[in-house]
Amino acid sequence: MPAQPAAAGPLLHLEDIVRTYWLGTTEVQALRGVTLEIAHNEYVAIMGPSGSGKSTLMNLIGCLDRPTSGSYRLEGQPVSEMSDDQLAEVRNRRIGFVFQTFNLLPRSDVLHNVELPLVYAGIPRAERRERAEQAIARVGLADRARHRPNELSGGQRQRVAIARALIGNPAILLADEPTGNLDSRTGADIMAMFDELYASGQTVILVTHEDDIAAHARRTIRLRDGHIESDVARAAPATARQ
Amino acid sequence: MKLRAELAEAARISWSAILANRGRGALTTLGIIIGIAAVITTMTAANGLARTFRETFSAVGADVLYVSRMPWVIVNDFWKYRTRPILGLDDSERLSQSLRGRAIVNPTIDVGLPASFRDRTLESTRIIGTTDRQLIVSSAVPALGRFLLPVDDHYRRRVCVLGHEVRERLFGKVDPVGRDVRLGASVFRVIGVMEKQGGGFLGGPNFDLQVFVPVSTFARLFGDRSTDRSVTIAVKALSHEAVPELEYEIIGEMRKIRRLRPGQQENFSINRLDTLLTAYNNVMGVVLGIGLLVTGIALFVGGVGVTNIMFVSVMERTREIGIRKALGATRRSILLQFLIEGGIICLGGGVAGILVAWLITLLIDATLMPASLSPQIAVIALLIAFTIGVLAGLAPAWRGARQDPIEALRYE
Ligand SMILES: Nc1ncnc2c1ncn2[C@@H]1O[C@H](COP(=O)(O)OP(=O)(O)O)[C@@H](O)[C@H]1O
Ligand SMILES: [Mg+2]
Repeated sequence: MPAQPAAAGPLLHLEDIVRTYWLGTTEVQALRGVTLEIAHNEYVAIMGPSGSGKSTLMNLIGCLDRPTSGSYRLEGQPVSEMSDDQLAEVRNRRIGFVFQTFNLLPRSDVLHNVELPLVYAGIPRAERRERAEQAIARVGLADRARHRPNELSGGQRQRVAIARALIGNPAILLADEPTGNLDSRTGADIMAMFDELYASGQTVILVTHEDDIAAHARRTIRLRDGHIESDVARAAPATARQ
Repeated sequence: MKLRAELAEAARISWSAILANRGRGALTTLGIIIGIAAVITTMTAANGLARTFRETFSAVGADVLYVSRMPWVIVNDFWKYRTRPILGLDDSERLSQSLRGRAIVNPTIDVGLPASFRDRTLESTRIIGTTDRQLIVSSAVPALGRFLLPVDDHYRRRVCVLGHEVRERLFGKVDPVGRDVRLGASVFRVIGVMEKQGGGFLGGPNFDLQVFVPVSTFARLFGDRSTDRSVTIAVKALSHEAVPELEYEIIGEMRKIRRLRPGQQENFSINRLDTLLTAYNNVMGVVLGIGLLVTGIALFVGGVGVTNIMFVSVMERTREIGIRKALGATRRSILLQFLIEGGIICLGGGVAGILVAWLITLLIDATLMPASLSPQIAVIALLIAFTIGVLAGLAPAWRGARQDPIEALRYE
């Protein structure tokens, strides 16, 4: 298991990260040297035009991918040098994902979807059940625990995904366009939930191309052509404007 | 702990995946069903064969030589033996005289005749003319009443000793001793009943369907040399070690009795258990050969089918694999999930195969030889089925396990 956060150091540190894709013989540089630090309990929005490298950066931060060059340390651990199975364990214990398309298992009910990370952590069934029920209650779906995803609305599905992302007490909650498939009211509900999580100490990183959504965060990183174009911190909470 | 949770998850998800694709799974397991049915039938048949052979073996006796006109097992060239002269009771008597003190000699003649008691008739009985020495040369013992005595032979009495099954089927619960049965056209008094012996190996003698009568009575009523019926002479050595030498002596004596000149080919045969053993091995070889061939082909075809649907299953669930990997599933857990799925599919085929084999076994039992499906064989068959499933799932499972999580998540 990865070490607990060193009290002083940053949560994550990316140093000169390059990610190159090869399409046949043509080289596509999705990230061309990104250096970035994010501390504990930050609320970060990653923005940029389509193709600027947002998803590539998210995948690297989420340990789904490894950089072509450069180093990535998560809680002081050199994850850029880890094997596939070690990365799987890091994802399991330290990362919580929320996807634009929810990505729930269609044949499993809410309870099973939410407890899944704990299955791969080897947590005994009884404890899994209890923690999953708590997480489901926390996102306000206690009465839907036995429903399948196709019996839920989009907003409810995304809340299930958030419960699943949180159940392992991750260091980072990573969300890629979490409101992209939701109407604006439901999207606002989901964002309120992220705000709340941030307020309770959770580090949240989200990718969006909508300014309203990015306004919830306290720091906005703009990408362009695989570079960081700007990195702006904001003191005032976005919700104060409403 | 972790492995256990993953195994339980794998079994659970496999199960729901299989239920969701029932029709597809059932169809592709056809090969497995046939293969498992074949392997069980083969093993059951081999077991039954071995058992009936063992029964025959003990009834025949390991240190007994059988002199007969024809060899028991004619490998080829039946016509060569056809011209051989008959063996008669007088030949047996002479052999007995010359081997006196060194072996025990007992002649038998047999004929298939129906036996009946009141309104019940049994067609498949074998009437055997023999003497009191039958008890010495074979392992047979009477269970009820007595066996034949020298006096029965001397006075050509019309008495008989029934085989176990003859008694059961003609008399049921009635005590047969002292009753009269009809053998062919003649009436005999029952003096005893033999113990159950089994046999029936390859259409060979079923000892429980035999009826023993004095050989002299037999000769008078049913005929001997005069009516083209040949005697089989059983010669029991005094010890097992003496068998090879005895065989030599018998050949010498028989040549004298038959008046064969030196260099002239023998016109009689000496049979031993080895002869039967050869036949047994041949049949066993054929049964195992055919059985394993059918099993091998069916399981191979079945395995390929399962590999195919597993590839489809892995492809259809690419996105699921991506989700699981994002949540922390390792290559091992994905691999396990699909291996277990393959195993469970084939296990289902295995269970169906056992049912089919069970029906076939009932059929064999009713027609060919006593057979029953043993639980051990069923368990072995299930293990085989599961193993085939795991092996068949190996390539697809490996493909699933190696999926890149990002690409898998993007899969539509
Ligand atoms: N798997 C891939 N193979 C080849 N090129 C890719 C792949 N993934 C992303 N790219 C390219 O890398 C660049 C950045 O992509 P991406 O990170 O998805 O951008 P964004 O999420 O900001 O739209 C794009 O030019 C895209 O075409
Ligand atoms: Mg993107």
